[in-house]
Amino acid sequence: MASADKLINTDVPEKDVFAFHFLQSLSNLRKQNPFDTPDQKNYRVRKIKKAAYVSMARAAGGSSRLWSRALLRRADKDDNKIVRFSRRKRKVTWKISSKRRRSNQRAPVVEEAAERLRNLVPGGGGMETSKLMEETAHYIKCLSMQVKVMQCLVDGLSPK
Amino acid sequence: MNSSSLLTPSSSSSPHLQSPATFDHDDFLHQIFSSTPWPSSVLDDAPPPTSDCAAVTGFHHHDADSRNQITMIPLSHNHHNDALFNGFSTGSLPFHLPHGSGGQTQSQATASTTTGGTTVQPQTKPKVRARRGQATDPHSIAERLRRERIAERMKSLQELVPNGNKTDKASMLDEIIDYVKFLQLQVKVLSMSRLGGAASVSSQISEDAGGSHENTSSSGEAKMTEHQVAKLMEEDMGSAMQYLQGKGLCLMPISLATTISTATCPSRNPFVKDTGVPLSPNLSTTTVANGNGSSLVTVKDAPSVSKP
Repeated sequence: MASADKLINTDVPEKDVFAFHFLQSLSNLRKQNPFDTPDQKNYRVRKIKKAAYVSMARAAGGSSRLWSRALLRRADKDDNKIVRFSRRKRKVTWKISSKRRRSNQRAPVVEEAAERLRNLVPGGGGMETSKLMEETAHYIKCLSMQVKVMQCLVDGLSPK
Repeated sequence: MNSSSLLTPSSSSSPHLQSPATFDHDDFLHQIFSSTPWPSSVLDDAPPPTSDCAAVTGFHHHDADSRNQITMIPLSHNHHNDALFNGFSTGSLPFHLPHGSGGQTQSQATASTTTGGTTVQPQTKPKVRARRGQATDPHSIAERLRRERIAERMKSLQELVPNGNKTDKASMLDEIIDYVKFLQLQVKVLSMSRLGGAASVSSQISEDAGGSHENTSSSGEAKMTEHQVAKLMEEDMGSAMQYLQGKGLCLMPISLATTISTATCPSRNPFVKDTGVPLSPNLSTTTVANGNGSSLVTVKDAPSVSKP
């Protein structure tokens, strides 16, 4: 199901790659904590969700995409509590202020939407708008693939 | 690179190459070798190409009084040409096309691509085409290029997002943002439902709403929601809907709910309770008695993909 753009490459691996990574992360999770009687259900939900995102980032091509890299870095940071220096706001405002001086303003409609997207897509803080939209396209494809995989699992394992 | 033809730049920036009445190979080559590397502004001033590629087989010698440039040199004729060709092929010198077509002028496909450009232009369309007659201010050019790039990517995003037939850029962007949010919510809900069973799902919902509860005591939370919704419904339906929407619930008549439940699970006994499982594991229902006498059902709907 990998589709290709003529100019921009937003290929995404097949469903089985995602399934493999997700199942692997689930089995790792199971080895770590016994989930039979968890003290707090919330904790387990959060763990599963995080495992889903991390496995998606790995399946989508590890470090070849900005958003996957940022996602993995964020996941590691949460585990190890390492404080990273955030370059987000600074880089974006520099670009905007320097360019706006010369030409007319950069389509404020697009820019405010881009700001909202930056909050949603991981790693969107330091990207230009065109690069951001590329990443968004790839991210959307991977997300939909991950959702399909999880839905198949739920359907297969739910009691009839 | 096309191995059989070679372009030479026109006169504007390198005046000493201009219009000799007659010339031979050596003079021409000396001029080429002695001139500075072609500046990129040469590329900006060039007109669009008028002819397409063809192989040069013979040397064409034409009068330079009408035109200011130099013709092609067939590579087979001279040793120097090989060196010249190699030198040009390894570098990224910006060739551009001579004025006027003539039968002799050829074009190289690669010559018209931008040298430092980061985007790949389709085939022989030069960077300059859109700019004829308009401001050549480099900043506005960059701005225009940037807008085109963004428009391209928006078009590719349009195909991905369902309901992407909006022509308006702003609404298209809103759709994209909503779709990303929707997908992320789907992942979250699916990871919840992996716990297996609606009991944990609904307790999860009530947990999110108001602190931690046990499995069976989730009805207390539902009651509170019911009372709140009933109170809101007395004043204004819209605010009640908004309140429910904030919780991820929706209102529907009981008849519709029973129809849906019988449709999805025909074998089960459809009973409506907050922890009941008449519908798929992602749904749970509560009944609210309305003041008007008609009962309404609130359904917690997870945005799950429909089963095939």
